[in-house]
Amino acid sequence: MSGLPQVVVRACVVLVLLVQSAPAQAIPYQRPVDTAPQADSIGGGYKVPAVQKPLPRDYWLQVVDVVALAAAMGVSVWLVLRRRSRRWLTALTIGCLAYFGFYRQGCICPIGSLQNVVVALADPRYSIPMVVTATFVLPLVVALYFGRAFCGGVCALGAIQELVVLKPVQVPRRLDRALGLLKYVYLGLAVLFAVKPALARDFLICRFDPFVGFFRRTGAPHMLILGAAFLVAGMFVGRPYCRYLCPYGGLLAWCARLARRGVTITPNKELDCGLCAEACPYGAIERMRAVRRNCLYCARCYASCPRERGVAS
Amino acid sequence: MQYRHVQAIDGKGAVHGIALDGNGQLYAAGDSGIEVFDAAGRFNRRWPTSKPALAVAVASDGAVYAGEAGQIEIFDGTGKPIATWRDQKLLGRVTAIGFTGDSVLAGDAADRAIRRFDRSGKFLNNIGKDNPVNGLLIPNGVVDFGVDAQGIVYAANPGKHRVERYTPGGELLGHIGRFDGVDPAGFTGCCNPTNVAIRDGIYTTEKAGPRVKAYDFSGKLLAVIATDLFDANCKNMSIAVDARGRVYVVDTVKAAILIFERVNA
Amino acid sequence: MSEDLTRRTVLAALAGGAVFLVKKANGQIVWQVNAARCINSRLGDTGVEACNLCTTECVVALSAVRAVNEYSKCGRCNICPAYFNISSAVNELGQPGEKLCPRDAIARKPIGKVDPEDPANNFYEYIIDEEKCDGCGKCVLKCKEPLGLGSITLRVRYDRCVNCNRCSISRACPQNALMQLPIGQAL
Repeated sequence: MSGLPQVVVRACVVLVLLVQSAPAQAIPYQRPVDTAPQADSIGGGYKVPAVQKPLPRDYWLQVVDVVALAAAMGVSVWLVLRRRSRRWLTALTIGCLAYFGFYRQGCICPIGSLQNVVVALADPRYSIPMVVTATFVLPLVVALYFGRAFCGGVCALGAIQELVVLKPVQVPRRLDRALGLLKYVYLGLAVLFAVKPALARDFLICRFDPFVGFFRRTGAPHMLILGAAFLVAGMFVGRPYCRYLCPYGGLLAWCARLARRGVTITPNKELDCGLCAEACPYGAIERMRAVRRNCLYCARCYASCPRERGVAS
Repeated sequence: MQYRHVQAIDGKGAVHGIALDGNGQLYAAGDSGIEVFDAAGRFNRRWPTSKPALAVAVASDGAVYAGEAGQIEIFDGTGKPIATWRDQKLLGRVTAIGFTGDSVLAGDAADRAIRRFDRSGKFLNNIGKDNPVNGLLIPNGVVDFGVDAQGIVYAANPGKHRVERYTPGGELLGHIGRFDGVDPAGFTGCCNPTNVAIRDGIYTTEKAGPRVKAYDFSGKLLAVIATDLFDANCKNMSIAVDARGRVYVVDTVKAAILIFERVNA
Repeated sequence: MSEDLTRRTVLAALAGGAVFLVKKANGQIVWQVNAARCINSRLGDTGVEACNLCTTECVVALSAVRAVNEYSKCGRCNICPAYFNISSAVNELGQPGEKLCPRDAIARKPIGKVDPEDPANNFYEYIIDEEKCDGCGKCVLKCKEPLGLGSITLRVRYDRCVNCNRCSISRACPQNALMQLPIGQAL
């Protein structure tokens, strides 16, 4: 009978001793009272200088970029469909490469903007700036009416590839069409990774842009090598990124199908010589006509047409 | 000289300042008020203060002075309030209290100065304020000082890496110490020593590489009392030395008071 | 004919989508360093090495991240651990012989009432030159409490940042210290 209470008392004593000897809780380390000397304490007419808070690029300059994009596409349409001058188109290509490519460093571009649009549609908390929406929509609207004017001389990635075309080989039609499906796979992947929640989200098109390293004049070695490889390949297989990988090109192709106007090789009657089909580096000529969805608006076809030059009667 | 760590006392909540009285009792000023421990380190009593107490000192008559933001509260030895001195301008943030002759000294961190009052609370003069030119350079928000047996005030001037000697009237007599990031005899970092105590020598504490050192009055380093027993994030560690030469230092992160004893003379 | 109709439908869809997105448009969001997570500036960790991922990972040639000194929080100390290398030997002026910044980006000048005789008796302003700073974080680490007052932090500078969709520093940062904020909060 007396054994149990004794054990209990002993247990209590042990517990009390344990509690007493337990260490005090450490104070969570926090920033103490703000103690830095202020202007009145320092004296001598001293004023605390303001910390610089540099602002990003002015909004109106971003609007200028969108206007420039629209204007460049307008010029491209006029040059290719009306004026029909390949020389002037090359000038436009170089100009757009210089401005959108090397000056603006390829960012923001319509290709990447499709990811932002997808994120904005999927994530209610993500808000997309208006200029980005405009950058996405404008080339598609132009494609709906006139075809892929954006690809012809305005897109910086296209322009850099366009300028290295040397001795293009004609890729066999079946292979060309099969490879062309890759861009829809890339489009699907880009959309898939863009709709993920914020921290898991990945902007694949930005990450695997092969030419942005040249535009920025700096980049990871493997990306620069990849870009150079694309350019070397582009000397012999015209514009490989545009034809086989560009996800935005996939969207442009769908819109261009519905275009009312497009590149015409000869205004009224085509010849049978097939010089246009040989001249086209992008395999966009079928049955002596430019196929709207594949035509990249380079104007080589009619530039090589004897009728254009007034040679044949 | 060698010291060894003999005891640790846990404070209740954050501890900002400590002091010893004539009987070796330890008074700790913290957020929850004043705590008193006896000479063996056992808890004796505690009482609350109207604001978090930043500093404490015990006068020769046993009155306990607690320094706070904007005021000094005076209690008797049992914790009964005797008087309160309120002055937002002169007592903005009292982080150290001392006594010299008939005067009460209060270190005001808000104005980087040591104030001298008489026993009734009348302001007499400043010590260390803009003397010379910029006076006490206090980036850490704590003014600390000690008083020796002759009544000379030893003020820690961390911005200059010195302990400066002042007369009670405010005249600068000289200083000991210099900056040195390599030699342990110097004070390292941006602003050290943060706290100082005077007994038979000058005892200082430093932050960022927390360190407790003892110097003689000519400025020669006598001992590095402790370095790695403190939490590395400690800052403004209050220090007190009793008549037996035991050194009491506050670990501000662990809210404990570590006691060190001299091993050989 | 149906081509016309399809074209009009697609156009309407694009226009509708654009209007929907424009209605949501709400100013710019930008990347910024969270000082409470960045290991160079967050409280509590001592004895760590300075992390320079902000310098090495940024896609811009000279990183868009800079060390920024919040002047109102700076102690204006004579011996600043972010300016001097306080572990170096002391020279004849009583100051550490070496400076900390590998690119010599911090300038030091006396302010306030200047004591001509005793340089230790002065306040000093420390100004970081943003043309030279590359965001390596050494000064930020030394300024951190308790050694300093923590007035220097790493910040993204928007006149240099290209505002990538997915900041490559944010991808690399082991503390997840890069976050996206509306421009008003991020400044």
